[in-house]
Amino acid sequence: MSQSTRASVTADVAVRRRFRLKGGLSLWIGGALVALAIGVAIAAPLIALTDPVMGANLMNAEIPPGLEFPFGTDAQGRDIYSRIVYGSRISLTVGVVSQIVNSLIGVSLGLSAGYWGGLWDDLVSGLTNLMLAIPSLIFALAIMAILGPGLLSLVIALGLTNWSYSCRLARAQVLSLKSQGYVQAARILGYGDLRIMFTQLLPNILGPLIVIATLGMGGAILAEAALSFLGLGIRPPFPSWGSMLSEARDQITTAPWLSVFPGLAIFFTVLGLNLLGDGLRDILDPQATHRA
Amino acid sequence: MLPILARRVANIIPTLAAVVALVFLLFSVLPGSFVSAMNEDGRSNIDPAVMERMRKEMGLDDPVTTRFAKYVANIVVGDLGTSFRTREPVTKLISARVWPSLKLVFAAMCFAIAVGVPLGFLAALRPGSAIDTASMVGAISGLSLSQFWLGLMLMYLFALQLKWLPSFGYGDGGIRHLILPAVALGVGPMALLARTTRAAVLDVLNADFVRTARSKGMTETRVVEWHVLRNALVLVITTIGLQFGSLMGAAVVVEKLFSWPGVGSLLVDSVFQRDIPTVQGCILLIVTFFLVINTLIDLAYVAIDPRIRYG
Amino acid sequence: MRRLVWLAAVAFTILGVAAAQAQDTPRRGGTIRMTAPYAASFGSLDPHATPRAQDDIVGKALQRSLYSWDTANNKPVLELAKSVSASPDGLTFTYKLRDDAYFHNGRKMTADDIIWSYNRIMDGTKGFPGARYVRIIKGAVDVEKGQAKEISGLKKIDDFTLEMTLTERVEPGYYFFAGTTAILPREEVEKGNYGAHPVGLGPFKFKEHIPGSRVVAERWDKFYKPGKPYADKLEVLIMAEAAARDVAFRNKEIDTSILGPAQYVAYRADPDLSKGILEVAEMFTRAMLYNPTYKPFADKRVRQAINYAIDTNLIIKRLVKDKAYRAVSWLPPSSAAFDKTMKPYPFDPAKAKKLLADAGYPNGFEFELSTSQNESWGLPIVEAIIPYLDKVGIKLKPKLVEVTVLTEIAMKGEHQAFIGSNLTGPDSLATLRCFYSKTPRTACNYTSFNNPEFDKLLDAAGEAADMAKRNDLLRQANNLLYEEAPVWFFNYNKAVLAYQPWIHGLQANPTEITHQYPENIWVDATSPAK
Repeated sequence: MSQSTRASVTADVAVRRRFRLKGGLSLWIGGALVALAIGVAIAAPLIALTDPVMGANLMNAEIPPGLEFPFGTDAQGRDIYSRIVYGSRISLTVGVVSQIVNSLIGVSLGLSAGYWGGLWDDLVSGLTNLMLAIPSLIFALAIMAILGPGLLSLVIALGLTNWSYSCRLARAQVLSLKSQGYVQAARILGYGDLRIMFTQLLPNILGPLIVIATLGMGGAILAEAALSFLGLGIRPPFPSWGSMLSEARDQITTAPWLSVFPGLAIFFTVLGLNLLGDGLRDILDPQATHRA
Repeated sequence: MLPILARRVANIIPTLAAVVALVFLLFSVLPGSFVSAMNEDGRSNIDPAVMERMRKEMGLDDPVTTRFAKYVANIVVGDLGTSFRTREPVTKLISARVWPSLKLVFAAMCFAIAVGVPLGFLAALRPGSAIDTASMVGAISGLSLSQFWLGLMLMYLFALQLKWLPSFGYGDGGIRHLILPAVALGVGPMALLARTTRAAVLDVLNADFVRTARSKGMTETRVVEWHVLRNALVLVITTIGLQFGSLMGAAVVVEKLFSWPGVGSLLVDSVFQRDIPTVQGCILLIVTFFLVINTLIDLAYVAIDPRIRYG
Repeated sequence: MRRLVWLAAVAFTILGVAAAQAQDTPRRGGTIRMTAPYAASFGSLDPHATPRAQDDIVGKALQRSLYSWDTANNKPVLELAKSVSASPDGLTFTYKLRDDAYFHNGRKMTADDIIWSYNRIMDGTKGFPGARYVRIIKGAVDVEKGQAKEISGLKKIDDFTLEMTLTERVEPGYYFFAGTTAILPREEVEKGNYGAHPVGLGPFKFKEHIPGSRVVAERWDKFYKPGKPYADKLEVLIMAEAAARDVAFRNKEIDTSILGPAQYVAYRADPDLSKGILEVAEMFTRAMLYNPTYKPFADKRVRQAINYAIDTNLIIKRLVKDKAYRAVSWLPPSSAAFDKTMKPYPFDPAKAKKLLADAGYPNGFEFELSTSQNESWGLPIVEAIIPYLDKVGIKLKPKLVEVTVLTEIAMKGEHQAFIGSNLTGPDSLATLRCFYSKTPRTACNYTSFNNPEFDKLLDAAGEAADMAKRNDLLRQANNLLYEEAPVWFFNYNKAVLAYQPWIHGLQANPTEITHQYPENIWVDATSPAK
C-alpha cells in the first residue's frame, strides 16, 4: 500500500469512527429527553402542583411565571406547569398508540403484499400511492371531523394517515428476503404462510420499523398540535400541549408565557424522539444512511 | 423522453380518479351540513323553513350515488360545482387563491433550498467538525418544531417586538408580507434538505469509485466532482420534489395563522363550514399539484442520470 | 392698548370656536378603513343570499333596505320611504317612497324594485334567509310554496307609492331593516353573477373585492342624503384574528377594531387607547340550555340549583374580562320589556346543594354538555364551570363539537344540555316566542319549554295593541322565565369597538356594532390614510 493510500484509508476510518460517535451522542441525548418525558408522564400526579382540571381558580387568572406558579397560570387560573406535566400523558399516548396502529396496518399490508404478490400487491401499492398523494393533515382533519374530537378519534385518525412508510419498508424487505434460503426451507417444511411471515420475515424488519415508529411518534405529536390548532383535537378539559398552544393564540400580545411553555414541551419531546430515532437508526438500520 | 412523459401523465389520471372518489366518500359521511354550519359566528339567525329550502337547493338530501354521478359528470367537463357558501363557481373561488398559495410555497421552498442545501453540503465536507454538529443539531431542531408555534414566535419577535415585518395577511402582495409565513413554512423542509444533502454527499464521497480514484493517487479532478455532484443531486432533488409537492397541503396551518389567503386556509374553512364542493375542489387542486411535481421530478431524473431508465 | 387686547381676545375666541367647530364639522374626503372580524372571508356580496353578519358590514355600505336602524332612538326608521301611514286594523301600511334614490347604475328606484326584491327573496327554490322576514307579508307563503308568482300583499299604487298588507299586527320596521331584505335592481341581478359586481342603493359604490382580503368602495355621488357620504372611499379589511387586529390598530393601519376580552383589558388600561372605545350591549343572550327530556333537568329545582352553583359574576369578570353584562333573564337590558328591578341569581352553593337534595339528587348527577370552540360562549366557559358544579356534586362532561354539529344536535334534541349564543332582539315578542309551547324545537324552542301561564301571557301580548301594555305583559313573561330557569343565564354580550382618534360618527348599534351606516362616518385630516 502506498503512502497516500494508507493515509486516505486512515482518514476514512477516522471519519467513520466519528460517525459512530455522533450516532452515539444522538442516542444518549435523545434517549435522555424521551426518558424524561416518560418519567414526567408516569409521575404526573406526584410532581404536579395542582389538579389540571379542577385546580382552576379564576382569581388567579393569567399570572406571569413566578414562585407560586413556575410557568404562570392560564386564563382559567390553572397552573400551567401542572397542565404541562399531565399533558405529557396525552401527547405520549397519542404518539405511541398512533404509531402502533400505523405499524400494524403498514406491516400487515406490506408483508402480505410482498409475500403473495400479484393482484393483492397491485392493490396495496395503488392504495399506498393514493395515501401518499392525499395531504396527511387534510385526511386526518376529515377523519377527526367524522369521528368528533377526542383521544380515540385522534389516535385512529393519525394511525390511518401515515402507514405508507412502514408498508413500503415491510414490502421491500419481504421482496428481498423472499428468496432467501431459510424462507425456502420453511416452506418446504410445510410452515404456513402466516407463520413464515411472523417468525421469519417480521423479525428482520423490526429494526427499521422501530426507527420509523420512533420518528413517527414525533410527527404524531406535532400533528396533534396542528389539529388542535385547527379546532379538532383532544376532548376537553384534559390538557394536551396542542390545545394549550391553540388556546393561547389570542393572548400572544398580553400573556406570551401561555404559548412559550407548551411549545417548548412539544419541542423537546419531539426533539428527543427525533434524536433517539436517528441514534437507533445507526444501530438498527445501518444501510439506511441516506434515508433522512 | 416523450413516451416516458406520456406514460407518467397517463398514470396521473387513475390516481386522481381514485382520490376524487375517496374524498367524495369521505366527506359525504361528515356529520353536520352547510346549512347548520351557517350560524358559526353565533350572530346569524336562520329559520328552519329557510334551512329546508337551502338543503333542497344544494341537493344535500340526494342519495350519495346520485350526487357522485352528477359530480363526476361535471368534473369531466371542467365544472367543479358551485360553492354552497358563495353560490359562485368553485373554479372561480379557487383560482383567486391559487396564486397566493403558489407564492407561499415557492418562497418557502426557495428559503429551504437556499439555506438547507449549502448547509448540508458544507457539513458533509467537514464531517464531525463544529460546523457539522451545529448545522445538524439545528436541522434536527427545525424538524422538531411545531409550525404553528414557530409561526407564533416569529410573529411575536419580528412583528410585535421588533416591528420589522407585518404580522399577518397578504397585504398588497409584496415581499414584506411573504417573509414570515414563508420562513415558518420553510424551516421544516430546510432542515430535511440539510440532512439529506449532507447524507447524500457523504454517501457519495465515500463511495467506491471516489476511493478508488483517491487510492490511485488522483486528486479531486473535475470529472470526479461531477460524479459526486450528480449522484448526490438525484437524492436531493427527490427530497425537494417530495417536499414541494406536499407543501401546498401542509401550508394549511401557516396560512390560517398568518391569514394568508391561500388554498389551504380555504380548504380548512370550507371543511368547517361543510362547503363540500369547495372542499373537493381544493383537494383536487392540491393532489394534482403534488402529482404534477412528482412527474416533473421523475423526468428530471432521466435528464440528470441517463443510467436511470423506466421500463 | 386696552382696545388692542380686547380685539385680540375676541379674535382668539372666534378662532378657538372656529377650530372647535372644525373638529365637529364633518370633513369631506378621506378613506374609512373598517375591519371585518368574524370570519376569514366574505360569503357573498349578494345581500339576499347570505345570513352572515360579516357580509352585512359591506351590505350597509353598498345596499339599503326599506328601513334602517336609528341608534339614537333605538328603533327602526324609514330609509327608502319618506312617510308611512297605517290602516286602522294595523295590518296595511302605505308607503310614500323616495323619488331621489338612485341605484349605482344610474336608474331611479321605484315601487317595482321593492316588489321584485321581496318576490325574489320568497323564491321557494332558493334558501334566501330574508324569507323569514318577508314571510309576514300576506301572500308571501304562497310564493314560497310555488302556488303564486307574486306576493299578493304587495300592491303598487304608483311609481312611488307602495301598499303592504301583513298577516299579523307587527311593526314592519323590525322586519325590513334587515340587510337580507335589501332592495336590488332587477336588471343587474338578472345579468347573473351579481355577487361579483353588486349594484345597490347604498352611499358607496362597489369598486373591488379581493377574496380573503378586502372590499373597496367609492362614494356614490347621487346618494339621497345631501352632503353624505362624507368620505371618498371605504375599505372593509378582513381580519379574523384578534391579535392581528391589535397589531394593525396600534400600527394605525386600520380605523376600527372589534376587541376580544384580552385586548379589552389592555386597551382600557392604556391612557391613549382607552379614549377610543365604544361599548354597547348587543342583543345576544349567552346561556346553557337544558333539555328537559334528560331526567334531572325536568325538575325546576335542579335547573335553578345550577344557576346558584356557578359564580357567574366572577367568570364574567375574570374570564370574559368584563366584556359582557350579567344576564338576569332572557331578554337583554335594551329591551323595553326588561325588568330593571330584578336581580340575577346570586352565587349560593349551599342553596344549590339544598335544592339538589330536595329534588332527589343529594349526591349530584352527571350530564353531558355540548359545546363549540368559541372563546366567548364555548369551551373556555365550560371549562370554567366544571369546578363549580363539581363542588355541588354535579359531574359535567364536555362534548366538544363543531358549530354545525351543535346546531343539528340542538334542533334534533339529541343533547342533554348545550351552551350557545342566541339572538334576543330587537323584537322582544318574537324573541320570547321561542319559549312558546307551540314553537317547535327546530324553530328555536330548544328547551322544549311548555308552560301554560307563559303561553297565556304571550297570547295576550300578541293581542295588545297598546305598546305599554304589550311590554308589561312581556315583562311578566320574562320574569316567569327567570323563575322557571329553563337555562343557566350567563350573559348578554358587550360588543367593544376600538376606534382611532381621527374617525367620527360611529354609532353604538345594539343590533350589531359592526353594522355601521357609513354615510354618517367621517375621518379628519389626521388620518394616515389618504
